[in-house]
Amino acid sequence: MASKVNIDQISHYNDLTPAAPLSKATLNKMTWRSLQLQSAFNYERMQAAGWLWGILPGLEKIHTNKDDLAISMTHNLEFFNTHPFLVTFVMGIVLSLEQQKADIATIRSVRVAAMGPLGGIGDALFWFTFIPIVAGITANMAMDENLMGPVLYFVLAFGLQMVIRFFLMNWSYKLGSSAIGALTKNAKEFTRAASILGVFVVGALVANFGGTTTRIVFANGDSPISLQAQLDQIMPKMIPFALTMLCYYLIKKKNFTAVKVIVVLLVIGIVGAIFGIWAGDYTPLVEWYTLPKA
Amino acid sequence: MDVIQIVLLALVTFIFAIDQFSLTEILYRPMVACPIIGLVLGDLNTGLVVGGTYELMMVGNMPVGGAQPPNAVLGGVVAMVFAVKSGMTIDAALGASIIFAVFGQYVVTTVFAFMSGLMSKADKAAAEANPAGITQVTVISMALMGGLFALLAVVAYVGGEAARDALNTINDNASWIMGGLAAAGGMMRFVGFAILMKIMLSNDLWGFFLAGFAMANIVQNIEALAPATLLLLAFIGVAIAMFDFGINMNIKNRVGSGQGGASDGI
Repeated sequence: MASKVNIDQISHYNDLTPAAPLSKATLNKMTWRSLQLQSAFNYERMQAAGWLWGILPGLEKIHTNKDDLAISMTHNLEFFNTHPFLVTFVMGIVLSLEQQKADIATIRSVRVAAMGPLGGIGDALFWFTFIPIVAGITANMAMDENLMGPVLYFVLAFGLQMVIRFFLMNWSYKLGSSAIGALTKNAKEFTRAASILGVFVVGALVANFGGTTTRIVFANGDSPISLQAQLDQIMPKMIPFALTMLCYYLIKKKNFTAVKVIVVLLVIGIVGAIFGIWAGDYTPLVEWYTLPKA
Repeated sequence: MDVIQIVLLALVTFIFAIDQFSLTEILYRPMVACPIIGLVLGDLNTGLVVGGTYELMMVGNMPVGGAQPPNAVLGGVVAMVFAVKSGMTIDAALGASIIFAVFGQYVVTTVFAFMSGLMSKADKAAAEANPAGITQVTVISMALMGGLFALLAVVAYVGGEAARDALNTINDNASWIMGGLAAAGGMMRFVGFAILMKIMLSNDLWGFFLAGFAMANIVQNIEALAPATLLLLAFIGVAIAMFDFGINMNIKNRVGSGQGGASDGI
């Protein structure tokens, strides 16, 4: 059994000799595994376990040193969330960095910087463009009791995503491998730049994915005052920002585990709903203000 | 009551429940799932019509950005049970299934919160460099999700209309529980952000974090740009990172060639 890894104190792998390039067969195997990206989805780290499971065949080939495999598995279990159909793009790049034994901070920053924007692209391309078109055509066939409707729908939608997955895996692995030589020569500067990009993206994620709002209104004659509108005047997305800072404070300064923070948020959510603080279509247990009729 | 039907229904629901997040992510869509359930219940044609109708209802109600829309798996199963077994018209069956779809959404939210507990098992496997441990975590998670939905499908099959009335009563009398769970579910992602910040955010990078937050706020409040927020932000982030890289390379090269500072003759 390898010794327990404290990832915060490790900056690079023990064995810094680049591993042999991954074979096409290994890349293809990981492309199939990428289908299970969300199999262990949870709110603490979202797709992390599925992500790690997907790239494990590659990591096992790359890290023959067992301590290095433990380090790599540990940092690849950090929070991960991207678009499931585009994930192989991140996989290819990260695997090329792992193969060249890049600094752990570099791999992490590239991973975060690549995963963030893909979510929006994938949703726009697939769920908002491709699927509505396919559904529009095939739904009418199905409603006419034509079995070709669902068959065509499945073949088109699944076929397209598999083509995308295979293409992105091979392309981004090559891309990463060709760019890496110049990067490792200037690893320190590159890691700093990649961290800047990563941190910048996390800041953007807070504003983009944070949707928590309040529904409290104060009676004020004919024009009730909405607390959310007041908060938005000070700073939009203030509640998501404050909650992120609270989590950061609890984890960084109070050494809370993630599970403990999740329990804290569950309590905040339910107690908040009892007093009608959070937005949503429900009736609070304690009604101390009246919601204006919609 | 037909035991074979119940077993088959539980089995296909088990697969759809996993498929809604993993596997193909297409099989579970009403367009494909409802005809399959129709086969199980012995009425393929109703399955085709319900599937087509439900699929069109779902366009524009997609699983985007980590948000949970009303659950199509449970909604589809119940709509099919009502349409085939209770003999409702297709529109009535779809209408009656909505409360189940909403309920299914909370089931998923709760499962996602509880499955965070499995991450400590995954951490242990990672620290021991044990790939089989990671496989176990994914298998356990899928089995939990599939099993829970299979159970709910059986409940819907056996007592569909009674279950609908019970759900409506809960929804009317204790809606704050559902509201609180939904609010908490929306907050969970902040934990993941905080963990990333703990790891990546050295003290001299706070400004970049705030800049990312501010830029995202600006871009997403412009209606025409909102859908492309993260992509545009990535471009800006890349520019900042490349600029920083260039500056630091310059400094490094000058020091290296002995031209730094005073020897520049400035």
